[in-house]
Amino acid sequence: MTVLEMMERSGLKNTTLAIAFIKDAIHLMQSQVDVHTATWKTNITDGTREYPFPANMIKLKTVSVKDTTDSKYKRIRRITHTPVVVEDTDPE
Amino acid sequence: MSYDTHKTWFFQTVGRNIHLWQYVETSQTDTLAGIRISLPDEYYGKQLIYPDESITAGLRFEGTAFVEPFVNVDPNELNGNDEPTLTNQTSPDEADHVNLSRMLSLACVDYLKSMVADSSGDLQKKEYYMREFWKKVGDDQSNKRRIFVNYPITPFAIK
Repeated sequence: MTVLEMMERSGLKNTTLAIAFIKDAIHLMQSQVDVHTATWKTNITDGTREYPFPANMIKLKTVSVKDTTDSKYKRIRRITHTPVVVEDTDPE
Repeated sequence: MSYDTHKTWFFQTVGRNIHLWQYVETSQTDTLAGIRISLPDEYYGKQLIYPDESITAGLRFEGTAFVEPFVNVDPNELNGNDEPTLTNQTSPDEADHVNLSRMLSLACVDYLKSMVADSSGDLQKKEYYMREFWKKVGDDQSNKRRIFVNYPITPFAIK
């Protein structure tokens, strides 16, 4: 369905506003259901614990770390409690 | 050399970042002349440590993404017998297609109607269209699932 058709069906006159609302609707859908999924890979650096989420990711499904002994990505678990850090080389 | 990463690595979400932790049952190690050695001053026992090795493309995220929201052709129409070739439109205009299924496009129309009602201050109408929006999103999801329901037949049942 084209943007124009959506505008005609909804009675919206402003194209810029319609495109902004469509983007909002897509974000809202993607927050609840899997419409478009993607994977992103990033390097793990020795001694660094903090890694940013991909900029265009909306909802996180899984996090995996590469097992270099058999070259497979294995899904890792989430810890719910913040661990007690006794030696912090990367304070924030 | 990472191994059993599904058992020895953990993560925690903190704002727009994740914190990676590695679970070890020994002390933190270092590599000396290609051999991993336990450092004498380190605590020995079960602990969570920062990643103790560099892995190229070692961290993988999977999630829903904001990718190619607007494309040049209708994503729901076949090109002859082939899948349509979609090109992302970075500066979308009225002629571009929204890269969604027909049902989700109809849900988007409801969202637009809801926003129109919202801007005119008609909250009842806004709520109605938002309900329609989520109903269509739910319909689209249920189209992908086939659920079989089996009922046991009572023995000696008379019909």
